[in-house]
Parts: sequence; structure tokens; C-alpha cells
Amino acid sequence: MNRTYAALLWLAIVLTAAAYLAWRVETGLTFRTDLMALLPTDQQDTAMQKASEAVTQTLSRQIVLLTGDSNRATARAAAQNLSDTLGKSGLFTPINTTIDANRIRRIGAFYAPYRSGLLSAPDRDLLLAHKGATIATRALSQVYGFIGLGDAKLLQADPFLLMPSFFANLPLPMSSLTPDDGMLSVTRDGRTWVLTAGELTRDPYALNTQRRLSAVLDPAIQQLRVQHPALETLRLGAVFFARAGADQAMGETSTIGIVSTIGTILLVLAAFRALTPLWLSLLVIGAGIVTALSGSLLLFGDLHVGAMLFGTSLIGVAVDYSLQYCTETFTNEPSPPARLRRVLWGITLGTATTIIGYLTLLLAPFPGLRQVAVFSAIGLAASWLTVILWLPELDRSPPARHGASMLRWSFLFLWLWQSKRLVRWRLAALTATVILAAIGLTRFRTDDDVRRMQALSPDLLAQQSRLQTLIGSQGSGQFFLVSAPDAETALQTEETLAGRLRPLIAGAALTNFRSPARYVPSIRRQRENRALIATELNDSVRRVQFQRLGLPDNPPSTPPKLLTLAEAMRPGTPLSFLSLLVLNYGPGSVSQVVMLDGVHRPAEVAAAAHGLPGVRFIDPAGSFSTVLGEYRRRTMMLLALSAVLMAPMLAWRYGPRRTLWIMLPPILAVALTPGLRALFGAGFTFFDGIALVLILSVGVDYAVFLAETTKDRRSVTMLAVALAATTALMSFGLLALSDVQAVQHFGATMLVGVLLAALLAPMARR
Amino acid sequence: MRRRLILMALALLPIRAGAITTLSAGEVLRGRFVQERHLQGFTAPLHTEGHFVLAPGKGLIWQAETPFAITTVITASGLVQDVGGLETMRLAASRLPFLSHLYAMLSGALSGDWHDLDSDFTVTRSGDAAHWHADLIAKHSDAASMSFTRIRISGSQFVDQVRIDKPNGDSEQLTFSDQALSRSPLTPEEAGNLARLAG
Repeated sequence: MNRTYAALLWLAIVLTAAAYLAWRVETGLTFRTDLMALLPTDQQDTAMQKASEAVTQTLSRQIVLLTGDSNRATARAAAQNLSDTLGKSGLFTPINTTIDANRIRRIGAFYAPYRSGLLSAPDRDLLLAHKGATIATRALSQVYGFIGLGDAKLLQADPFLLMPSFFANLPLPMSSLTPDDGMLSVTRDGRTWVLTAGELTRDPYALNTQRRLSAVLDPAIQQLRVQHPALETLRLGAVFFARAGADQAMGETSTIGIVSTIGTILLVLAAFRALTPLWLSLLVIGAGIVTALSGSLLLFGDLHVGAMLFGTSLIGVAVDYSLQYCTETFTNEPSPPARLRRVLWGITLGTATTIIGYLTLLLAPFPGLRQVAVFSAIGLAASWLTVILWLPELDRSPPARHGASMLRWSFLFLWLWQSKRLVRWRLAALTATVILAAIGLTRFRTDDDVRRMQALSPDLLAQQSRLQTLIGSQGSGQFFLVSAPDAETALQTEETLAGRLRPLIAGAALTNFRSPARYVPSIRRQRENRALIATELNDSVRRVQFQRLGLPDNPPSTPPKLLTLAEAMRPGTPLSFLSLLVLNYGPGSVSQVVMLDGVHRPAEVAAAAHGLPGVRFIDPAGSFSTVLGEYRRRTMMLLALSAVLMAPMLAWRYGPRRTLWIMLPPILAVALTPGLRALFGAGFTFFDGIALVLILSVGVDYAVFLAETTKDRRSVTMLAVALAATTALMSFGLLALSDVQAVQHFGATMLVGVLLAALLAPMARR
Repeated sequence: MRRRLILMALALLPIRAGAITTLSAGEVLRGRFVQERHLQGFTAPLHTEGHFVLAPGKGLIWQAETPFAITTVITASGLVQDVGGLETMRLAASRLPFLSHLYAMLSGALSGDWHDLDSDFTVTRSGDAAHWHADLIAKHSDAASMSFTRIRISGSQFVDQVRIDKPNGDSEQLTFSDQALSRSPLTPEEAGNLARLAG
């Protein structure tokens, strides 16, 4: 028989999907966990995007560990141990952070030929204010004072000690750390902290990288802890946050998954008092998820953990279809194919409209949304096929006899909608709901701040802030991007910018900044400095200084040279780290980065770029929020679009007038939910927007089921809708308990929306 | 530079009978110093004279009088140096942790604990209670490359003389005189100097 062949063919497809999935799991399945991977790829400014990505990527790969113990030797040995262990794992390239005497000498030797053009910012200010004498006195006090800087060769070349001043003003990251026998460390409150720093060699957002890193790092730390119970380690790095976030997401997925599964099982068992509907429902969902997972992995290569979370929830809707089918046992229809025939139109239209709803998400250039769309569309289609091809073959249930009391409740609920006497009450209830939603809408506000959407591990945040205090670097993802036609122009622009940033540092709006120009002044600035030194610290001032120092006056014999960025960045120079700040994309333009440390008042810092050509303040988290906002708006447009796309299909089956009545409950649910949520002060986020897309789909399902049913079967269908809504509330309502704000918003909106959609569904009846 | 600070502070410790005694709170050590630096390339040694005040738990005031009036104040919060009222250097301990390290060593030494010193130097002591010597040789390679190779301290009731040898052949000699312990409080000027680094 044809039906059997189709069922077998579908079995072959599902088994193939399962085999492919098993193979992927076997060969190391990776899930992505970074929010950034969910970002749209079509943002307008590609140069900025590239620079932003390059900087964020570099930052996200950095790992900083501090190992602290009251015993200096223990702390040092532990730091060395961690560095070796990580280095051996191949996951981590240790950064040579040892600023030993040798490195300082190399930096000194590198700058020496160019010293005539190098001035620290405070010295330059002094000379511009004609206070050369202050600099001369400072040099003398350094030679004769408590701290003697008495190096004759240095003083002969630099009698005013301008070079040491220039070095002291170089912005060095982790300024609180000092070299101690080859290792950077800091002693605070009797505890020596030793630094281990490095860069991950792999994507910190790949779950696999996170797992492997923990597998290496955690036992190493544990072992050290066993030997030295007082030993402490602090860690900082995007990878640790990502790991904690993924753990939480996974933990919640399984908790929510378990609770909602148990809930659904109990519900189905209680409703049907038989095992068949239960395992049929599980089969429908299982086939959907397996097919969706393997299909999406085949299409995308990898999946985002968030897409999987949302996608799995969306497929959960398929339980509606198996419940639709199974509640037919409450009628007296004994033949499975006949049961299917009765609900076939309902579930087919329901699936089709829902898939349309989900697929509109494909139109958003959000990689994550696309994954959700494809994942859930495949899953739903697979679940639908499973219902129509397998359920009648597997169903051996006799008509159920115990449904009478449930059907009475179902009938009672329908009566509330049908009774002519209750027209006023119905209108009053609806009006009250609309008024409440309207009141809520007056308090309606949108919220796109991505920092509130993620739940960052409080433990890691505490470690981060302790570590940052210890190393003396607050870090921040924010930076200025300076674009210019050539390096010299960029450096000059940075010097102007530096002039605006210094007062902000003094005013505590900013802790520090690192620009290429602070290491390599522009040629123009070097010439200015040289002229300034020649006038303000002229030959006669110089002669007096040598006299007071008790040194013979030997003017420098080497011709002064000018330092260029290209020269400073040659491989092998002690300044080659500048390549992190100098990004060049394409010919004819240069991009340089001014990294910001400790941005306390972002608005003031951002304003420093005002009116400077080619300078932009970049705040990745901030721009992510902007993007979230944009996509919140886009999701609302997609929502309207999916409603419009569903209409022709419904109109083809029901005609325009009835289509209106069928669309009314879901549209009311979608329209009233944001207002009712706002009543409780919740901000409307992108994630609420996605939930509305889902509510529309589910709402149309319920309405279509009731539109398809015959008058005598109406109570049965309403019961199926109630069961479906209850399972939906169980899985999505639980998401409202999540600690991840994004998930919580999604869940809470689903809670309100699904409830409304189910309660209003009888409006769609014939 | 950092080792020198440690040493200088150490040199000011009152040492009796070859053992370091603890200055109790409220006691103040005052005295004069002559500092002579023999530096390569300089026609003559750099000669500085002045006086100092050491108040345990509060800080050290190091005042050069000739050839320039340079005041250096070191407390747990950092270091400040000025010349005739003009501030020429200010180092906050929070920015330069070697100062905190200095204090760890200083307080250790004050309590008669040579442990911190022993980890950085090989210490050899000789002589008797009336005239004792301590010879410190740096253990770490970076210590040698950064500041000095050997320090010799001699004293009787207090430290009398410190001689520091540097790897490049430079040397420095500190001679202390007129040292006296007193229980009288700090003068308002001294207290004011120490207060400049408060916070």
C-alpha cells in the first residue's frame, strides 16, 4: 500500500539523518557560543567593521592569569607551571611579558638615535611654557637626590634627562606589575602575584576550545591547590566568560528541558491514561529534532548554541499536531486513518502557516536567526511528516472512554464563547484586557542594551576586577579608530586627540590610552620638539647644566634622526607590538587604533573625537546594542510580513471573511501582549519580538484547528488546543525563569501571548 | 634603583650590638649624612650632605643641603621629591609597586627579620658588638644587572657607614653621624612633609 511505502521512505530519511548526526557527534561536534556570531554580517561600514573585528578578536583571545601566594617562590613556580602546561597544550601561545633589564635596554637603544625629537607630554608642556629651568632642576635633583640617576654617559648625551621622562610616560599596559627576576609580578597585602599571559591559538567562542582549555587548566590549578592550599589564581579572558555562559545555557537547557519533558509526559499521561499518545508525541518531537539538527549542521557546518536552544523550543510546537491527532481517540472514531483525515487539514495548515512564520526570520541578515529559521522549519516539517505518515500506522488505540469530564470542561469553556447571554461579559472582558494593554503601552519602552541581555558569571566578574586592580589595567573593549590617507596624518590626528584625552584622564573620565603616536610621534611633532629643545634648552642653558653636574660639556656628535612608524614596526624591533595598533586595510588609507583603558564616562570620551576627521569612537558592546535595536525593529516588520503571507493560504481555504476571524485571535494576542508585559515594567527587547513571531504562528495553529473542526467535535478540538497551549506554557513559561535576560524576556512574552492566543482561539470557530 | 632604596632605608636602621633592634612607635631617629658617589666619567665624585629623620610607621625624610636643597619624603603611599619647593618627582606606591616591596622589606627588617634580605642577598656578618660589619652580596642576576653587586655596612650602636658597589665600577659611600634616638614628637615641619604623601 502507498501509505506504507511513504512511511518506510520517511523512516529511511530519519534514520539517515540520525546516522549523519551520530557521525558528526563522533567526529567532534562543535557549537558556537559567542553572541557576536549572531551579529548581522551586512553592516554598512566594512573598514570599521574589519578594524572592530580585528581588535575584538585580538582582545577576545587574550588570557591573563595571576597566581598569588604569600610565598614568592611558590607563586612563581605555580605561574611557571601554568605557563608550561598551557604552552604544551598547543592551545595557548605565551606572550613574553618579561620586561627584563635586557628589554628595557633594547627599547632604550632603539630610541637613542631619535632622542632629539622625543619629548614626554609634561616636558613638552613645560618647554612650551618656557619652564626649561624646571626640567634642568629636576635632572639635578635626580642626580643628587635620594634616588641617584648618576650615569655619566647618559647625562652627557641627555643632561636634562628628557629620555627617562619620555620612557616613564610611555603607556605600558599592566603598569602595576614590575619585573622580578624575569617574571612580572606585584606584591599586595603580603601576597606575591605572578603573571601568566598569553593568546589562545583557537577560537575562544568554540565550545570545543573552551572544553579543551578547561581540561588542561582546571586540573593543573587543582593540583597546585592540593600542594599549596593557600594558592590563589585569578583569571581573565573572554574564553572563561564564554565557557561560563555556555555552561549556564546548557545547564538551563537541560533543566528546562527535563522539567518541561516531565511536565509534558505527566500531562499527556493524565489526559489520555494511556502510553500510546505519549510515545507517539515523543516520536514526533524526536524525529523533528534529529532531522532539524542534522539538516542544519549539513547546511551551516556548525550551529550556535542559542539557535539550538530557540530552535528546539520552536519544534516543541509540533506536540500540538500529535495532540490534535491523539485527542481524536476521545471521539468514537476507531480507525486511525479516519482520525488522521479529520485533523489532516488543521495540522497541515497549522504547519504551513507556522513554517511561513519561521521562515520570514530568514529574511533578517542575522546569522543566528537564519539558523533558528532553518532549524525550526526543518524540524516542524519533519514532525508534520511523522504525524501524517507514521501515527496512523503505529496507532492501535481504541476509542477512549474516560474523556467525558475533560470534554465537559472544554465544552464549558466553549460555552463561555458561544452563549448569547454572555455577549456583554465577553465584550467587557475583552475591553478590559485591551484597556489594560493600552495602559501598559503608555509605559512601553524598548531595551536593547546587550550588557543586560547576557548573564555574566559574577564569580568571573569579581576575579576580573581583582585582577585588573592588581595589574593596574582596567581594560575596556572601547577604542578610537583613526583612518587617514597616510601614517603621518594619522599620527598627527592622534596627537590632537591626545591633547583632548589628557584633561579627561585628569578628570577621571578615562584611565589611560595607548596610541601609536605615543610611541612614535609624527614627523611634524618630532621637528617641533627638536626646535623647542633647541630654543628652550639652548647652548648656554646646557653649559650651565654640565657645570652643575660636574661633567665635561660634550655636545652630541651623531646627526639627529627622525623616527618613522615603518621603522619602529620592522620585525624584530622592541616596538613590534605596535602592529596590534596599526591595521592597514587596502591601499591608500591607514587605520590606527587608540586603545582605551578604563573608560569611566564613555560619552565624554567619545566626544573627544568630535570634529577630528577620520576619528571614530568604537564601542563594540554599544554598537551591538544598536544592532539589537535595529533587529528588534526588523523583527516587528517580519512579524507583519508573516501575517500578510499567511493570509492568502487561509483565504484560499476559508474565504476572506472567515480568514479575518481566524487571524483575529493570534493578531489580538500579538498586539496585546507587549502592552500587558509593559504593565509590569518590562522593557521590550528583540527577544520579545521573536516571541511574538512564535505567538503568531502558534495562535494561527489554534485558530485553524478550531476553524477546521466540526460542531460535534468542537469540544475535542478545544481540548487538544488546551493541551497544546499547556505544553507550550510549560516549556516557554519555564524560560521566563531563566537568569539569562534574553531568554527570560522571550519566555515571559511567550507566557502571556500563548495564554491569550489559546483563550481567544474560539473566536475562529465556524 | 629599587634595591638602592631598600638599602638606604636599611642603612638608617638603628643597629645595636650587631643585631637590629626595633624602633618602637613614637621613637624618632635623627642624624646627618654625607653621600659620596664615585661615578665613571665624572671629573669629581658627587658629594651631597644633609640630614634625615626616620619615624617608624610614618616615613623617612631625606634632606640634602649641599650642593642643592633637595627634600625627599618616602612613606607607605609613595615618594615625593622637591627642590626648593618645586616638586620634581612624585611616585605613588600604587603606581610603582617596588615601593610596596620596599615597605615589606623595611618592616621586616624593622622587626629584626632578615628573611627578606636573605632571599635576595648572601649576608655575612663579622666583628663584635662595638664594631660590626655586614657584607651583602646580591644573589639574583637581575639585581646585579640593575643596580649593584655588593654592599658593605659597618656600625656600632647605629649604622655608621654603607658602601655600595655597582656592576659598572661605580660606587657610593654613605657616612652617618650625629645619630640620636628621641621620643620627642615630630616637628610640625617634619609632620607636614610626611603628610604631603597622605592618601
